[in-house]
Amino acid sequence: MLLPLVAILLTIVPLKHGAAELLPSGADPILMDNVSALNISIAVFDPGVPEDQSLHRDLQVFPRIREIEAMFLPFVLRETLVETNQWGAVRVVPEADVAVELLVTGEILRSDGEILELEINAVDASGRVWLDKVFGGVVTDNYAERDNESGVSAYQKLYDEIADDLRIARDQLDQKTLTNVVEISLLRYAIQLAPSAFGDYLSRSADGTFTVHSLPARNDPMLDRIQRIRHTEYVITDTVDSKYQMLHAEIASVYDLWREYRRKFIEYQVEDVRRAQTPSSAPRGSYEAIKNLYDIYKWDRITAQAQDSWAVAFNNEVGPKVDAMETRVAELEGWVDQQYVDWHRLLEELFEVETGLDRQ
Amino acid sequence: MLRMPVMVVLCLVIGACSRQPVIDEGMMRFEGPMPADLSGSWERNYVRDDEVSGVLNQLYYQLARTSPDQRYSGNAGMPTLSQDDMNSVLALARLAELITRPHVLTISQNEHEISIEREDDFAILCAFYDGVAKGTESDYGTEICGWDGEQLVSNLVLAEGLQITHRFTVSEDGTQLRAVTTVSSSTSRVPFTLRRFYTKFERLPPTFNCIETLSMKRVCSTGELVP
Repeated sequence: MLLPLVAILLTIVPLKHGAAELLPSGADPILMDNVSALNISIAVFDPGVPEDQSLHRDLQVFPRIREIEAMFLPFVLRETLVETNQWGAVRVVPEADVAVELLVTGEILRSDGEILELEINAVDASGRVWLDKVFGGVVTDNYAERDNESGVSAYQKLYDEIADDLRIARDQLDQKTLTNVVEISLLRYAIQLAPSAFGDYLSRSADGTFTVHSLPARNDPMLDRIQRIRHTEYVITDTVDSKYQMLHAEIASVYDLWREYRRKFIEYQVEDVRRAQTPSSAPRGSYEAIKNLYDIYKWDRITAQAQDSWAVAFNNEVGPKVDAMETRVAELEGWVDQQYVDWHRLLEELFEVETGLDRQ
Repeated sequence: MLRMPVMVVLCLVIGACSRQPVIDEGMMRFEGPMPADLSGSWERNYVRDDEVSGVLNQLYYQLARTSPDQRYSGNAGMPTLSQDDMNSVLALARLAELITRPHVLTISQNEHEISIEREDDFAILCAFYDGVAKGTESDYGTEICGWDGEQLVSNLVLAEGLQITHRFTVSEDGTQLRAVTTVSSSTSRVPFTLRRFYTKFERLPPTFNCIETLSMKRVCSTGELVP
């Protein structure tokens, strides 16, 4: 186990797109050259499932489907951001990592096939809040009319709005500030792994924002090791991101169907209201009159209960793929978590050896 | 001479009973596990069922005896019934017969919900969370369940005073189920009640294993099919 870690720390790892570049030694203490595009990590959304189970039916929330949507919808946002060509690497990650350059988190407030409401929060590594807003979208066309075309989200307008708001927030910051964000991101990552070596470079104010006190030299060997480790972690992050990409490709069409079924349900409800409001011509108290009252309720309940069948059908179809993906992602994340423990220990030991200072 | 006071008392009693809720606060709560297990597949036992015509005749007679506008036919001692009374009761009887027509009930039960699936009708759903009943409300009616001892009671209130109550009781050995359905309406002086009996049976394993999907509808296999 130790040999691969040492190898990582001593060799240069090939870079994926969007990773911070290794810097030539002997340069000035500014860590980064001017950064033109921030990397974004989009955490899997909060499904927004009420803890009180008794509310699920009233709110028409299907917990397992919400969990799947929470993994699926962030990838649609990812694709939208990538297509704008305004950002560095955009990745979907299973959990929020506060050391990333720009972290986007979200919660699904409503998803009923017709309306999608997301609460989106974007915070950069310095603690600056870029976005904290609820976005709502109404489906504009249905699955049948699009002839089963995949890749075009019915809520594209909502995602475009999120992308626009992020771009507007970024454009309000100057280049120096953006560079500062990247530097803080790297330092926060470094502090997680080697607090003894990097703990003094940043301070946190009462409002939660981070300020850089000083910067390590560009040729700082410990910083070099941190960057190599980060590059290795980026390989895993990109692999995890590709898993979400595969999930999206595999279940997008089924999800569209689910959304369409839900939208039809809402249409049926509207039709039921219209039918119920049409007065029966049968005499009050007659069999036809009371049967009409019963039938109105009966068909409303049958339609509502059909949703349960659709939810089961959806889970039957996509459940195995989601379970397999979750298992693989958990394996990858578990590997990273274990490496973190080893990296942390090794770096602290190295710092002690190199500086002759006891670890705090 | 005594007939009038008796009728007044009887009407008062009926009136008082009709104002009591079918499911009171006490019935909506319970502690511990569900008081009874109704789960399983149940098929009609037609031998024990009530005859609709028999129940109807009894009700006609009761109505005629308590009618405030009693008229007697040529046969002495045989009360008759107004056409309105007959029509209103007949309407309830027809609806009760329709509702209780399903041959099979499929009941599934977990710690929170009891679902009673019926052919060609919606499933009666009884939900309890932390031992408290949770009803279903829509623009067209309100449905709620409760426990009366070990008897599951489901009450549906629709518009214009139409009310349908089901009472389910499982025998001690768990092989028999009795469902008592009462239909009442503000247009009828008396409710109509029908008893249905069911016997538990084990469904034969299917020839094909099938699961429902969204894109391919039902998918079946002769072998094991894991969703």
